[in-house]
Amino acid sequence: MEPKENIGFACAYTPLPLIDAAGYAPFRILPVGDFPDQAGQLLHDNLCPHIKRILDRAMSGDLPDLAGAVFINSCDAMRRMADAWIDIHKIDTRKNGRTILIDLPATADSLSISFFRDELVRAADALADWRGKKIEPEAIAASIDKYNEISGLLVQIAQKFRQGRLDGGTAALQKIYNQAATSPFDDTLVRLKQLQDAPDSDAPKNKGVPVFLFGNVMPDPEAFEMIESCGAAIMNDDFCTGSRMFAPIADDDAGDVFSRMAEALLTRQPCARTFDPARPGKIAEDVLNNAKAAQALGVIGHTVKFCDPYLERLPFIREALKNAGMPLLLLEGDCSLRSIGQQKTRIEAFIEMLR
Amino acid sequence: MMKHYFNDLVAGIEASLAAAPDNKSPRKLYALEIAKLGSRLYSGENRVAWCGIAAPFDILSAMNVTSCFVEFIGAMLASTGLSTEFLEEAEHAGFASDICGYHRAILGATRKGLMPEPDFLIGTTCPCSGGIAVMENMAAHFNKDLFVLNIPQQQSAAGIRYLADQIRQMVTFVSDHTGQPLDEEKLRAAVIRTNQARKLIAETYELAKQTPSPTDGKMLANFGIVMALLLGSDAAVEVAQAYLDEFKNRVKNGISGSKEEKLRLMWIQNRIQFKNPLVDMLEKEFGAVVVIDELNDITWDEIDPDDPYTGIARRAISIPFNGQATHRIDHLKKLAKDYKIDGAINPCNWGCRQGTGSKGLITEGLKEMGVPVLNLEVDCIDHRSFADGQIKTRMEAFIEMLNDRPSPWG
Ligand code: SF4
Ligand code: SF4
Repeated sequence: MEPKENIGFACAYTPLPLIDAAGYAPFRILPVGDFPDQAGQLLHDNLCPHIKRILDRAMSGDLPDLAGAVFINSCDAMRRMADAWIDIHKIDTRKNGRTILIDLPATADSLSISFFRDELVRAADALADWRGKKIEPEAIAASIDKYNEISGLLVQIAQKFRQGRLDGGTAALQKIYNQAATSPFDDTLVRLKQLQDAPDSDAPKNKGVPVFLFGNVMPDPEAFEMIESCGAAIMNDDFCTGSRMFAPIADDDAGDVFSRMAEALLTRQPCARTFDPARPGKIAEDVLNNAKAAQALGVIGHTVKFCDPYLERLPFIREALKNAGMPLLLLEGDCSLRSIGQQKTRIEAFIEMLR
Repeated sequence: MMKHYFNDLVAGIEASLAAAPDNKSPRKLYALEIAKLGSRLYSGENRVAWCGIAAPFDILSAMNVTSCFVEFIGAMLASTGLSTEFLEEAEHAGFASDICGYHRAILGATRKGLMPEPDFLIGTTCPCSGGIAVMENMAAHFNKDLFVLNIPQQQSAAGIRYLADQIRQMVTFVSDHTGQPLDEEKLRAAVIRTNQARKLIAETYELAKQTPSPTDGKMLANFGIVMALLLGSDAAVEVAQAYLDEFKNRVKNGISGSKEEKLRLMWIQNRIQFKNPLVDMLEKEFGAVVVIDELNDITWDEIDPDDPYTGIARRAISIPFNGQATHRIDHLKKLAKDYKIDGAINPCNWGCRQGTGSKGLITEGLKEMGVPVLNLEVDCIDHRSFADGQIKTRMEAFIEMLNDRPSPWG
């Protein structure tokens, strides 16, 4: 079988089953690697390093061949990134016009879900057009099934890692998330099933201080390793480059596939950019509840600079955790291991304080 | 503090207008109506809604709600030199200095009790991610209900329908909170007034395109965005009429807005809101006049009073800051051409991702038509980091460069 062509994406709200159903491999353009800063020139220095790195990778020729890109209008920075992406690809005759930006409402009321459903249909039309082949609803349903299987397996495997039954700790788990985000569904399924069947490791368990991690993007496995090397045991995390990417899509044979996806994506564990107007500031509760559920003694928040959705909500989180007596360490970085590494002493001191 | 400030402002402008009844300066009338709005917001006697920039103020005013986008207060605090205390308060509370200055000032003002308690809030996802986050913050702070209008990016049938339906739901939300249903006739009358103001403003802008322009660098500063707050009211029609009359008179009598118009400039996005010498300097020292601000344009069609929600939804979607950069750049190019612009100034408000994120593409787009852009690095609200001398030097060099090249318009 011919290898599948890749479709680039950059946000955990991307309708991955659509990409699979169109016959493509979803390829998350992770903000990794070290490249000369060209994006800051084109956009502005004050845009988040997440999207600047994505563009820098594209501008430095660091990406595999992409047959198109599906972006999500999740925040100002993403929208501007999509503009720049279109601009830098305008001379590429094959890719020119093969970028779609899907609108993503900030709230998950029924009108919004229905509008988002229409946006997913628009995305499906674009993908079908690029591929030259209609996407049948049955194919989408089958891809949703595969996606759900991946989602379930990832939960089980994450648990195995966290219980120390698989080698490599959370760094190895992050590698698996990254692979899942950059590979065809079928390859991911094979890999995950192997891991599920792998015998329990006899490596010593992480005896570190249990912490919960949250934030926007932190794809570098070594960052997790570094945090653990400071004496932490990462009990669970909530990043857009981690567990948030493969939240399950409800099994509902009655609903049409687009509605199912729209509802599942908009109502999944939200990052800061999506919220419930009836419960302003709920993100703080979510962080606290997740930390408690993970039996963490403390919380480490890691956000990249210039991320408005988080910058304006971190004070909520800080206050809620303070009121609940849950220690919090906030780190700000630029997606590079270097920037997290610079904060090693702070992390060590925090873990020490938790002991 | 703000209550007294706005009340004093109203009294002062009224006294000055009464002292010279024949000289109805449109800018004064405009300032008066804005001061009156401020006064109503802080009077404690009106129903108040804090809103996002793209809220439908004409509908809210037809429903007897005094409403305002919060960034307006951020700008007021900066223009009166009072913002520092509130910026510091926000930063002290953990809001990073990388957040847009408008929002930092408001977050600080909210925490310091300077923002009157609203009855409810109407957030809008356009123009920026920061704006909607501020609404969420304020709703939590005041423990008041928040309604969110998701502004779609495109003028598609689905997008317009989606927003129009949300506006209908907003009307129900508002009447649930005020206890008064919408009076359809009142809304109709408000829409008719919106259309009247729209027409007058469009004619005014048409005249501003003349060479030399009847406007100067200040008369229409912040005009387009702030006038949205008055839409639906008689005040909007009066202010617009005063501008039109003044511009007609100036054009008829060959009076230009500035003494000497050698170069015509376009101001991109928002003005620097705190007192600063730049626009005056450009005009007085170099004859370089800001004849158009990006937001001083009518980008929407007349609204059908029989189907107001569709037209109002279209209007919100049409804002140049909404959607992809190409939408904004096409609009800037149109303005540059219509106003025969020699050069453009983009302040690149620090903290404004949606705006500054298009810096490179705007520069490239306007360059294609021979219009250079001077990109500055300022925080339009926070004067603490304002490098006055450095910016002046860059402006001088920019003007020199413009003077040394032929006009792109022959
Ligand atoms: S890190 Fe924040 S600002 Fe950047 S793309 Fe993600 S949500 Fe947007
Ligand atoms: S300057 Fe930019 S970030 Fe600030 S309120 Fe305006 S659009 Fe939003």
